[in-house]
Amino acid sequence: MVESRHGVELRGVSRIYSRGGETVKVFDDVDLKIDAGAFCALMGPSGSGKSTLLNLVGGLDRPDTGDLTVGGVALGGLSEAALASWRAESIGFIFQGFNLIPVLTAIENIELPLLLTNLSKAERREHALHALELVGMADRAKHRPGQLSGGQEQRVAIARAVATDPGVILADEPTGDLDFESARQVLDLLGRLHSELGKTILMVTHDPRAAQRAERIIHLDKGRIEEPEQGSKGLSGEG
Amino acid sequence: MVPLKLIWRNLIRHKLRAVLTTGSLVVAFFLLCVLRALVVSLDTGVKEASSSRLVVQSAVSLFVDLPVSYQNKIESVDGVEEIMKMSWFGGYFQEPSNMFAQFGVDPDRISTVYPEIEILSGSMEAFMASRSACIIGIETAEKYGWGVGERVPIMGTIYPRSDGTAWNFDVAGIYDSHNASVDDSTLFFHWEYLNQSLESGASTGPPGVGVYTVLISDDADQLRVGGEIDALFENGPQRVQSSPEAEFNAQFVSMVGNVPFFVGAIGTGVLVAILLATLNTMLMAGREQTRDVGVLKALGFGSGATFWMMLSQSFLLCGVGAGGGIMLAIGASDSLRGFLGTTFPGFAVNAEIIQSALTLALVVALFAGLAPAIRARSLRVVEALREEI
Repeated sequence: MVESRHGVELRGVSRIYSRGGETVKVFDDVDLKIDAGAFCALMGPSGSGKSTLLNLVGGLDRPDTGDLTVGGVALGGLSEAALASWRAESIGFIFQGFNLIPVLTAIENIELPLLLTNLSKAERREHALHALELVGMADRAKHRPGQLSGGQEQRVAIARAVATDPGVILADEPTGDLDFESARQVLDLLGRLHSELGKTILMVTHDPRAAQRAERIIHLDKGRIEEPEQGSKGLSGEG
Repeated sequence: MVPLKLIWRNLIRHKLRAVLTTGSLVVAFFLLCVLRALVVSLDTGVKEASSSRLVVQSAVSLFVDLPVSYQNKIESVDGVEEIMKMSWFGGYFQEPSNMFAQFGVDPDRISTVYPEIEILSGSMEAFMASRSACIIGIETAEKYGWGVGERVPIMGTIYPRSDGTAWNFDVAGIYDSHNASVDDSTLFFHWEYLNQSLESGASTGPPGVGVYTVLISDDADQLRVGGEIDALFENGPQRVQSSPEAEFNAQFVSMVGNVPFFVGAIGTGVLVAILLATLNTMLMAGREQTRDVGVLKALGFGSGATFWMMLSQSFLLCGVGAGGGIMLAIGASDSLRGFLGTTFPGFAVNAEIIQSALTLALVVALFAGLAPAIRARSLRVVEALREEI
């Protein structure tokens, strides 16, 4: 197994939103540490802050207070441009709605994040094909998202997420829109990314069966981290 | 940087909409080029007028003829090098719609007064030799397929023949003009032929001379010569007004009415319409691509990249539309010149018009693309991904 150096640490993190003139505290003084190479499931009711946590770790959102470190990089000190570069290098996103670019083929979607690297055109194509092979979709390289099933789309999205070989994979309900069999395939893939490639994986899910695939389950409720599940490993939640 | 492939495919994401918008841009830019060419053709005669020519007309109106006896008196003014009679004939070939300019002139003086006239076939000598001879501009000759030696029947409207038949002019030469102050669609014939017809009663119409075109020497002052000519006839019998050729041409253009204004107003309307149509298309495109913008930003593309992605689509759309319209206008230029040439001499979609059209395309692209580009730039990833399309 490849050792990932991309651990995640939150210290005293708070996130407050204003909605219709009302202030909503999504996170309140949260501490959390996720070891590098861990596979964590984030569970909790709607509005508990799961997606917000994912967005914060992925550098898509910024905390109002507290420190957030991913792979040793303090995100609070990065400018928007630096944060975008860091994302391109360090984070792979998998969304519930797949979010593939509909006008590009599967392989072109995977090549998108590779455009931000120094790879040549041929190398980008090679990497993208390799990522497609990894998710068993090489024969669908020229298909557009509209020509793929939901499960196939999500596998392409996973290939896109790992194409640049990021240390951290953030998956926001990756099986939410999939049937049982497709969900199983996606979870198998995530399991392989963790076990074979040593990726640090944070997966938001409502599905307890999906959560069971993780080695650690973190419960969120009203912006606070609750007691972890017994028997899960790599846990040091302190929220 | 966002790949061009993505920009192009986003542009044609909705093929019907892309075709309709591009089509409207093609038509609009075609119209803008043609309308601009019309205005330019009206202005060309003014801009390219000779500074060494004066036009002497009646002070009352251009439609009042001057006595023949004025020619010798004007000729005696210091600085006058040559003087030539010019009478507007106002005839047509076969149908009133086949109207083009015809002037009765002094054939032995025309090449001195208008040195820009070059005889392409036939000769000036042949023109001078025969009373019924004429020379015709290349545009009109090509339009009607006339060549040297042919007899051209022209129906007179100001000077109808008494027996109701057409005037016959024998083509002695086909000319090309090096300057827009003389267009390539005019027929010049002997003023004396007209005069003798009137005197013999073979035709009817106002006697005299429409205007005198005066060539002044290089060192002569236009204003002084004009002033002296006007002073000659201050006490009648017919007062005259001398104008530099440019001023006369401008006055002639203004007689066409508010054509430049009218054409300009239509052009402005067309421009506003395409601005709004393109803006509408780009706003819809921007809205549809909200989630894509969010995905790109999540993947690590910067705000600048998403800004340029939207703006580039606008430039591409306008580039294709304007390019098509301009190409169409260039392609149709010859046919349009044949159709409009006698009314709008020198009609051409030239480099200046193409440059103006391209500048307008840039302005339209910028105007239409800026709002969605700014939106794409400022969109937060989380909001963009949450957006329901």
